[in-house]
Amino acid sequence: MSSQSNDPRQPSAVRPYKPQLVAPQDLPVDYSGFIAVIFGVLGAMFRYKVCSWLAIIFCAQSLANMRNFENDLKQISMAMM
Amino acid sequence: MAKSRSLFISPLSLLRPTGDAFLYIFALLFIFSLLLHHLSAAAAHPHFEGFDADDDDLPLEDSNHEQVVPPLRSPPPPISLSTSTPESHHGPPESQIQPDRNPSSNPVKSPSTASFEYWDEDEFEGIPQDLVPPPESEVKQESSESSTGGDSDLGHLGNTEDSNKSDVRFPKKLSYYTVEILCVSFLIMFTVNYFTGKRENENLALAWASKFAAKDSIFEKNFSLLGVGETDDSPLLLQEGQNVFKFYASGRRFCSGLLATMELKSRHDLISKLYNMVVPCKDEITFEVYMNDDAMDQVIFALARKKLAKTMQKEMKDLQRFAGLVAPPSGRKWVTEELQVVSESKEVAGDLINDVVLDQVFGEKAFEKFGKLFISMHFSDQQSGSSKKILVFKFALPDANHMVDMTRLVALVPYYIDLVGRYKLSLHARTKTEAARAKVAQEIYKEIQNARQEALQKKKADQRKKLEEAEAKLSAEALRKKEAKEHFRQMKKAMPKIKMSRSG
Repeated sequence: MSSQSNDPRQPSAVRPYKPQLVAPQDLPVDYSGFIAVIFGVLGAMFRYKVCSWLAIIFCAQSLANMRNFENDLKQISMAMM
Repeated sequence: MAKSRSLFISPLSLLRPTGDAFLYIFALLFIFSLLLHHLSAAAAHPHFEGFDADDDDLPLEDSNHEQVVPPLRSPPPPISLSTSTPESHHGPPESQIQPDRNPSSNPVKSPSTASFEYWDEDEFEGIPQDLVPPPESEVKQESSESSTGGDSDLGHLGNTEDSNKSDVRFPKKLSYYTVEILCVSFLIMFTVNYFTGKRENENLALAWASKFAAKDSIFEKNFSLLGVGETDDSPLLLQEGQNVFKFYASGRRFCSGLLATMELKSRHDLISKLYNMVVPCKDEITFEVYMNDDAMDQVIFALARKKLAKTMQKEMKDLQRFAGLVAPPSGRKWVTEELQVVSESKEVAGDLINDVVLDQVFGEKAFEKFGKLFISMHFSDQQSGSSKKILVFKFALPDANHMVDMTRLVALVPYYIDLVGRYKLSLHARTKTEAARAKVAQEIYKEIQNARQEALQKKKADQRKKLEEAEAKLSAEALRKKEAKEHFRQMKKAMPKIKMSRSG
């Protein structure tokens, strides 16, 4: 497209990246984790094997969808339990 | 290329090297522990309480059959016994049942008493001897009756019994395991898909970055700082999760920075992948340009496909308040019919959609070729949030091999930064926009005032309530005090007044 004759860059105007901090309440709702908990409780209460296995599957999904800044190894192990 | 790739990869790998390995190990360990647990549980099932003599009974059973075969042909065995006990105990109860059937036949009794030693007689107390035969024992009887010869009968019976037993056990085991097998295989597929999907997403992001953010690329020529970090060697892409990548650039006139967010399909998550096969989804990239305060005039403008434009106009606050749908003006070239312009003023819209842009991307012909990946464009100086003046561009991402298709669209970004940065509203348009903004600002101010007043009133009401409650509590005491005071006063009045005069 149209090129400028002068360089548009302005090294003096550089501002370093500041990652936007999101409070834990504002995070998008973790549906799969929620469903995992529900299925786990149902499976334990009613002794349905299918429920417990579904709980594990959804727990795995919620772990897979976890974003970096939420990460903590402790959290992962607690979630798996 | 290899070097630059390593540059890109190092931040990505740095961010989560150990985490992934851990996750993998955890998942595998968990799956295996579950499998083992279930296997051991399943193996323990056939052993029921009180029936430990299962193995011991098998040889006994055969010996019983030899003596018991003739009685089989006469009165039917009592079924309630066999049905009440679990299936695996086909053998022993039946061998017991058979002697039970013929209390009158003496030769049978001695072997039956021998069998009784192995079985607790008390277990079967109170059960009548003659009962309706079960269909299976009937069938067995018929099959046994049809075959000739005691030995052949025995063999047949023994075979059917044994095969029944094994048949009963095997399907139980398999059916017992279907859920486990299904779920474990799903989990394995999930794990495999996680890694392949992750790699695919990373490749896509790297392909984009190598095309548009590497040396001699468009962003390199426009911004002095690329990437997330302080120095020049900083990593270009920030991976926030398996399908979200961010690219930051800064150091240009008119704007303080640019943040490109790539939101890719959730290829790493099998369930989302299956869902996306049903509900279509696209890889998207969103450019947010943060304009300087002095660089952007009062512009509120959006451009998108028709349906999306309408939704945007309804949902986004600033478009809702200030802007309306703009019909294509007559007498000049305009964007293709698929697109809809939303703007505060038609003049501004006309100025922003200039000939260059129409020829390159948004005109009729150009859009067919290059506009497939365009989703939306939104300029605003009244955006809610931390920065008020931003330009937002949303494009769809092509796959890794076709990144070239996006070149023209990406070139729009710096072009519009310059265009909007230099743009000044005409007087006519400015008066209108100023008026609209002033109105809205007033409304907002009023709302804030109202909210503050309500808060104050609430506080006052609360305080009043508290006082009243306190009074109500103290009222009992206060009444007494008042009464006491009044009494005292009366007493004083009743008493003769002693005049006191001062001497001196």
